[in-house]
Amino acid sequence: MAELTYNEKRLMVVLNTIKEATPDVIAGELNTTPDAVVQFAHLCAEKGIATLEREITVSYALTTEGEQYVTFGLPERQVYASFQDEISMKDMQAHPLARIAIGWMKKKGWCTIEKGIVKKTGDAPEGPDEIALRDPDASREGVLELVKRGLAEESETTTYRVAITETGKALVEAGLDLREEVGTLTREQILSGDWKDLNLRRYSVDKLPKRIVPGKIHPYQRLINEMRNVLLEMGFIEIYGEVVQSSFWNFDALFQPQDHPAREMQDTFFLDGTSPLPENWERVRDVHEFGGTTSSAGWGGTWDPAKAQTNVLRTHTTGLSIQYLKDHPDEPVKAFCIGRVYRREAIDPTHTPEFEQLEGIVMDKDVSFRHLMGFLKEFYGRMGFENVRFRPAYFPYTEPSVEPEVYVDGLGWVELGGAGIFREEVTDPWGVTYPVLAWGLGVSRVAMLKMGLRDLRQLYRSDVDWIRDTPMMHGGKE
Amino acid sequence: MPIIRLPYEYLETLTGTDRETIIDRMPMIGADIERIEEEHIDVEFFPDRPDLFSTEGVARAMQGFLGLQEGINEYPVTPSGISFRVDPGLADIRPYLGSAVIRNVTLTEEAIESLMGLQEALHWAVGRGRGKVAIGVHDMDTVTPPFYYQAAPRDRAFVPLDFAEEMTMEDILERHPKGVDYAHLVRDCERFPLITDANDNVLSFPPIINGELTKVTTATKNILLDCTGTDQKAVMTAVNIICTALADAGATIESVDVDGAPMPSLAPSVRVVSVDECCRLLGIPLTAEEMAAHLRTMRFGAEADGENEVKVTVPCYRSDIMHDWDTFEDVAISYGFENFDAALPESFTTGKPHPVMVLQDNVREIMAGLGFLEMMPFTLTNERVLYTSMQREPNAEVLHLQHPISEEQTVVRTDILPMLVETLQINHHRELPQRLFAIGDCVEGESTFQKVAAVSIHTEADFSEIYACADALMHEMHLAYDIEESDDPAFIPGRRADIFVDGKKAGVFGEITPDVIRAFELDAPICAMEFDLRCVRERRGL
Repeated sequence: MAELTYNEKRLMVVLNTIKEATPDVIAGELNTTPDAVVQFAHLCAEKGIATLEREITVSYALTTEGEQYVTFGLPERQVYASFQDEISMKDMQAHPLARIAIGWMKKKGWCTIEKGIVKKTGDAPEGPDEIALRDPDASREGVLELVKRGLAEESETTTYRVAITETGKALVEAGLDLREEVGTLTREQILSGDWKDLNLRRYSVDKLPKRIVPGKIHPYQRLINEMRNVLLEMGFIEIYGEVVQSSFWNFDALFQPQDHPAREMQDTFFLDGTSPLPENWERVRDVHEFGGTTSSAGWGGTWDPAKAQTNVLRTHTTGLSIQYLKDHPDEPVKAFCIGRVYRREAIDPTHTPEFEQLEGIVMDKDVSFRHLMGFLKEFYGRMGFENVRFRPAYFPYTEPSVEPEVYVDGLGWVELGGAGIFREEVTDPWGVTYPVLAWGLGVSRVAMLKMGLRDLRQLYRSDVDWIRDTPMMHGGKE
Repeated sequence: MPIIRLPYEYLETLTGTDRETIIDRMPMIGADIERIEEEHIDVEFFPDRPDLFSTEGVARAMQGFLGLQEGINEYPVTPSGISFRVDPGLADIRPYLGSAVIRNVTLTEEAIESLMGLQEALHWAVGRGRGKVAIGVHDMDTVTPPFYYQAAPRDRAFVPLDFAEEMTMEDILERHPKGVDYAHLVRDCERFPLITDANDNVLSFPPIINGELTKVTTATKNILLDCTGTDQKAVMTAVNIICTALADAGATIESVDVDGAPMPSLAPSVRVVSVDECCRLLGIPLTAEEMAAHLRTMRFGAEADGENEVKVTVPCYRSDIMHDWDTFEDVAISYGFENFDAALPESFTTGKPHPVMVLQDNVREIMAGLGFLEMMPFTLTNERVLYTSMQREPNAEVLHLQHPISEEQTVVRTDILPMLVETLQINHHRELPQRLFAIGDCVEGESTFQKVAAVSIHTEADFSEIYACADALMHEMHLAYDIEESDDPAFIPGRRADIFVDGKKAGVFGEITPDVIRAFELDAPICAMEFDLRCVRERRGL
């Protein structure tokens, strides 16, 4: 049996003496309230050392309106008594209760109404309702009638009886520790050592605590940080840059032809401003027009510097990567960026006009396509995607290009990001002579796979309860 | 990206093997299988390979990849004696014309479907929605050469494809479904492009619609091809791809004289590439012979030229081969991506987080420690949320989008606090208290900077609560600050304060005014703060 609390013990001691009583009586003995006694008795009953019997009694009492009629009778009785054998409706209506009375007199058959004359039918015996009006307990039929008319109301009274069981008796007779319970330790009790002799109140371990939600970093930010940490551990330097970019860095420097559909206003957020072209922009022009100093034929046509100056909200972070390479042309370079990018898309469960993109680049003397695959395997492996495979792909600024796929239980092979070696048309204008391995992926796509997210809007217009409920550590409990 | 429908029987006949073998290996040449149906398979190819947009082109590539036939196909062209004249008046309208005569075609329903599919995909990928290139194929036996590509008056009438009555070209733009779709390409021209024959019969109104007269059917034996456009290179790419596809299906190609110049040539180009450069880029050891063999598998002509060079003959339909590395990718595909030995390079580097990200990480840690939940609202918003609902004056430096996609997102945020109050609105049905924060990029003018904001909504949210949080944030960021009463209209007078760092205003906090609370359809007290991290970056030189 679970330990008894101090109050339960006191109750048992009283019960052992008086055997059986109402909570009121026991409350007097324990110097507490009857409600508290019921609560203690309930706990003792659960332990089988006492019984708690509950009885509900229904009683009736007159309402304020009902009380008004006790002395002179119900409205129909009062009006009935106010005239002799018959009376005209008009005269009768002079009586203040006529409006209520007339219907009841007819219903009870005390009178008839013909051509505006109210005529008594004979006797008008006292009905059960009138008996109940005098004494609500005298007629159940009558009192229910009064309840319907709003003249009486029903109320429930719960009464309890508490008794001790044989087990309880045995327990008390075996002796109980009746020292007073203590809730909170004081400084003095701790210092003096008195705490050892205290009867500390016991808590029920079955009762759940009140929920606390700690302050938290957003689950999506935690995932982003996890990716950042993986890349930092792999020796990458983090890049951070401006949201507003010139078309030059966002498109032209990446060898996107000036008539490419991605450069139309349907896909990209264009801005009013322009940015000056950087030093050596002519090399980018040359690469577009005829391949510059590379083996490329270029796109042909005439490259328009004005078009390159137009500002846009960055559609990817690759523009930052190439600027980083321009500023750090010496090998080895390993850099990454996770940043918000913008595409002109309407908001729906799988599209948002802004989302995070991860991008990594590696530039070194002897790096090759084989190493790109190595980095991809390593990165995805550390992100928890053990199985990675590669398929040919096309991206405008890489050659060769590759599309990594990861194996996800329940989904099979899933495309996750894109990768390749920067085209020479991209790197040559900046004097970068060694191959640049590059890969990128939509971070929200990883969020969907790893967090089981179905609607991307949850990331940016979060339900507070989703943040409250999402554990900081993932994995584990399924 | 274009999705190409490949009928199995036609594909099997052209490739010379069974469908299972083809489907099994197809993804590894660079294709996404969209769906496998009873009679056909739908496959998505990359936009840089328009030569794969037909069953004929796919069969040709698969023959090489499966080892059934390698090297480059020959595409002989003989003169047809037919000539085409181009009206100089088209110079500012649609100047370029490419043409060819394709004889002895066998047009089954499947071959016609393949041809129409190819045309549509080329219109998308090479033609940029018909603006750059538009393609017409005609039953040549219904018309009489020579042909004339002219700038015609807009009221010239003819019977357009799939119609029974004559319409003027202007009418076609109004009433014909294709006319309505593509009217924007020519509407502003004084005269419209038109192709006619010796008897002034209309073949086509490029880039809108062909005439009904020259409609291609299963009875068609000889085809006249016209490709018109604004970019000569793209026009010829389309001509080459269509001619080689039909030639692979058994047709013979004849050239047309366009203002004295015969076309098409369908001749390959030659590129001498370095074996060493290829091996270093891909990270695999190959001899010149091996490399040439891989290229032949990918349907190039390729011969080892000494030990360190390969002479590559590039078929005319491979418009994607711009640079030597483009051929190296094909070597990699033939080698098989699955056969690469993925490895990490040996050079040593150290990682380093960006200081601005470190700053944000620290602020996140502080705010979470103060019991706030992080939110990551959009950076795109509108002036109603940013200013009107906040009872604030618009920031003159707010960055507008030229072509917003919705009224909800027309500018880039200059503040984060309004976004957080909006987040409270989204969560109005959730239990209080709610204590939220957000940190991230804002833009003023065109420069990006960072702010952090926090809100607390509950029945007892007040100035003291948020003052304590602001003070804690300043303390943990190790920032000395001054406080003055604020006049920010988003807050209640007498319950608001500005934060000054190094004598410059850097933040604000207080109790949000009920006008703002109601503007966001909320009904509980809110205390809030916002802090501009530029002062921290300035102080620390970040």
